[in-house]
Amino acid sequence: MIPPRFADRLLRLFCAPHLREEVLGDLHERYVLRVARLGVTKAQRRYWLDVLAYVRPSIIRRKPSEYSQPTNTDMLRNYLKITFRTLTRNKLYTTLNVAGLTFGVTCFLLIGLYLFDELTFDQQHSRSSRIYRAIQHKKTPTEDLTIAASSYKIGEESKKNIGEIENSARIVRTGRAYLSNPRNKNAFQETITFGNPGLLQLFDFEVIDGDRKSSLNEPNSIIIVEELAKRLFNSTQVVGKTVDFELDRPLKITAVLKNHPRNSSFDFKAIVSEATISGDDEFAAWISDWDSQNFMTFFLLKENANPDVAAAKITQLLNRNAKLAVGTSIQYNLQPLADIHLFSEDIVDGARNSNVEAMSRGAILYIKIFAIIALFVLLIACINYMNLATARASNRSKEIGVRKASGAFQSHLIHQFLTESLIVTAISFVLAIVLVNILLPAFNAFTNKELSLGFHTDYRIWLYTLLALAVTGVVSGSYPSFLLSKFSPLALLKNLKIQNKGSLSLRQGLVVFQFTISVVMMIATIVLFQQVRYANSKDLGFNKELMVVVDINSAKVRSGAETIRTEFSKIPTVKSVSVTSRVPGEWKSIPTVKIRPEGNTNEHSIAYLIGADENFAQTFDMKLLNGRNFGGMSDSSSILLNETAAKLLGVSEASGQLVEIPERAMGGSYSPLPSRQTFHARVIGIVKDFHFQSLREKIAPMVLAYQKNPVHTIDYFTSRIEGRDIPATLAKMSDVLTKIDQTHLLEYHFLDEQLARFYAEDQRRETLLIWVALATIFIACLGLFGLATYAAEQRIKEIGVRKVLGASVVNLTVLLSKDFLKLVLIANGIAFPLAWWATNKWLNEFAYHISVDWWVFVLSGASAIAIALLTVSYQAIKAALVNPVKSLRSE
Amino acid sequence: MRRSDLGEFEEVVLLAVAALSPKAYSVVIAEELEQETGNSVSTGAVHAALQRLEQKGYLTSQLGEATAERGGRRKRLFTVTALGGRVLQEVRAVRNRLWDRILPNIRLEWS
Repeated sequence: MIPPRFADRLLRLFCAPHLREEVLGDLHERYVLRVARLGVTKAQRRYWLDVLAYVRPSIIRRKPSEYSQPTNTDMLRNYLKITFRTLTRNKLYTTLNVAGLTFGVTCFLLIGLYLFDELTFDQQHSRSSRIYRAIQHKKTPTEDLTIAASSYKIGEESKKNIGEIENSARIVRTGRAYLSNPRNKNAFQETITFGNPGLLQLFDFEVIDGDRKSSLNEPNSIIIVEELAKRLFNSTQVVGKTVDFELDRPLKITAVLKNHPRNSSFDFKAIVSEATISGDDEFAAWISDWDSQNFMTFFLLKENANPDVAAAKITQLLNRNAKLAVGTSIQYNLQPLADIHLFSEDIVDGARNSNVEAMSRGAILYIKIFAIIALFVLLIACINYMNLATARASNRSKEIGVRKASGAFQSHLIHQFLTESLIVTAISFVLAIVLVNILLPAFNAFTNKELSLGFHTDYRIWLYTLLALAVTGVVSGSYPSFLLSKFSPLALLKNLKIQNKGSLSLRQGLVVFQFTISVVMMIATIVLFQQVRYANSKDLGFNKELMVVVDINSAKVRSGAETIRTEFSKIPTVKSVSVTSRVPGEWKSIPTVKIRPEGNTNEHSIAYLIGADENFAQTFDMKLLNGRNFGGMSDSSSILLNETAAKLLGVSEASGQLVEIPERAMGGSYSPLPSRQTFHARVIGIVKDFHFQSLREKIAPMVLAYQKNPVHTIDYFTSRIEGRDIPATLAKMSDVLTKIDQTHLLEYHFLDEQLARFYAEDQRRETLLIWVALATIFIACLGLFGLATYAAEQRIKEIGVRKVLGASVVNLTVLLSKDFLKLVLIANGIAFPLAWWATNKWLNEFAYHISVDWWVFVLSGASAIAIALLTVSYQAIKAALVNPVKSLRSE
Repeated sequence: MRRSDLGEFEEVVLLAVAALSPKAYSVVIAEELEQETGNSVSTGAVHAALQRLEQKGYLTSQLGEATAERGGRRKRLFTVTALGGRVLQEVRAVRNRLWDRILPNIRLEWS
């Protein structure tokens, strides 16, 4: 005989409490009557209807209380008032808190902006969530390749045959050439990129001038970016004008794109329509097969299509049509557009000529590290606030006692302290935003980004900032507020000192935590600094100082290389000149070859190959261990090996051993040499190992072939010059070049600068780490200063008594500093193993690295102690110098 | 006295209270009205009408005894005030006067 419970619960919810009794009673009584009359089912239905009939204002309206009920806003106003009074009365603590938090938040925001930019790469395209890049995994007995490239057929046929795929786009970067304006002879070396019309359909590149969708449809059309248009024409309204790109035909500009935003993986300056070359024989060869890697292909999937299914279908399509060699397997998968920047570590950037630089990419590991650092800095700032607030708890014990005695609930006090911390955080956030805007220009120059924090910034950044503000306020305010509001009013008003062992050890724990992080960061900074210096100063096996590398950018210069080399060496300030295909410390990819001793039937070994001439060893200061150097044109089928390669091939003494080189790879798959013939060569010498890659890599096997070799053509002149009057030397070099080819511009690099670029990111991280380390130490010191001030205040009477009894200033200073030093020492003890572990892990990224010396730890630990001592002793000495009469005069 | 103060449903409820006095509370009133009119009447509607009438001063109420079928909850018993009684009488007088003025032959046509 019980009416529907849920209906009752509903009624209780909306019905005013003072009416609940009679209403429920009526309903139940009537239910009983109805059950007797109509049966349970009908009675239940009527019960529901009756309950609903009570949904009317007169039933819902609550009875007004006869006591005044302060609204929430009244209380809030009170909290705010009290907050501002407390903050203004304790100016020192307020300043310390706000300063600490401001610093912490500034670091957090700067790093946050950086991370946000890194994490939103390539998401400016409206359909970015549906765009994928085709990744080919190729497995043969000798190679295992993952490359961001596919064949033309895959791109075209997938679009037609696979239901998931809506459209496809592709690019191919065939090399570098002069892009020039025939009118005014402005010319610039640019990468030649061919793209199909799909490129403009998939991606939303913003257009300044011209049509956005169809600009790549016609042959002989080119689209360029704003910045290049300005360089060529001094204007961006250049649609319809023609440019020359060394393609034997003029190209008409059909669109001008906006410059790429910094968080775009695409960095092309110009794209030529694919239709321009689609009639060429060479192009026909590129597109004929299924399993090649000639294009970087992007697919637009249909809404809700599963990329894994689409990838599996692509693989099936390939297997149905391609005739793969035995033992070779190819598999495709689809990489989301948003993952290209950060998750391409093991993927070769394909579909490009070896002298085109790869797309830039980020490292997810460092993103994670920086995210953790940002959180730590913020946490340290929060801890500061907590520490100071709890430490001052007893100062405010009377206030809390009176509030409690006059009827404040615990929740009221919690709210009050939370309001206080939220206000402090809010002030800090506002200051931090100002500070961030002041620092951003420098930060942008340093990170090479275009970050900003203002009204036009992405709303998500503001959302995260607000979230961070709320979390920071609550986190830093929660502990003090819960702790302070817990005590009984009696204890508070009897002026018993709040002796809370738990909070004391927690406070100490927090200080230890702060200093642990600071010391770890100091050690990391020093180690990073040492490693970068080591990398830049290590003996690389050749001399990198005062080396000018000049690019060969035209066929005329290439064929006249010998003349140019002789002319270069005639310049008085040039000591020696060498012609090579690649240089040690190369920024473009160095080709690899398959190599094995003649007559051997084992699998081929893999080695890098550089074409060089007889002056190479002399120019680079390289040591020949045995055998002889190249002698001249007669040595075109001779090679030198480095020690590693010699060991790999089992050559201990160079004596004309025969080797065969059947295939090469230019950053992609292995294919026969351009001549279609195996290169048979004799080993005539062995050179000492030298670092031709970054120190992250172990020295790999290297074959030095003669400059005229069937694998790779020459690309650079490298000259060792004298240190005096370098601009004049460069000008003379330019003159020599223009004599051979009027249009050729001098493009040069200094080898040492180029090598330093390997570690530019590390250097950047080092700088960032230094600043963050300084910030954390500063914040930690602010906290320590506050705690020391407070400790001195608390023990003022004790100090007075001790002084009266004869304690010296030194005694007292030691007494007050001791406690804090202990904490810093503990922090060192925790930080050392942690830092040792972390730095070793980082150093192991490098095949060649320093070992972490013990003095790094001693130095960091000692400076942490010194800084802490300085901070604390100021307050300690001040307290020790006070005349005891002052402190003992009144109780 | 403003006539509009008393709605038709309110008038019926007020009459029912007077008729069921001194044991008038929402359940019996609702049941009574259901029986009399044949339409279903929810306690909610009656309750609201009673509240309005009490506000206007035509009714007073006090809490009565609790019963088992009410789950041990008390009921609110209503009684008509003198003002309420006068209003009822007045309404009736108006109606009576109007009834009396209807010509007999018209009344015959209706029956």
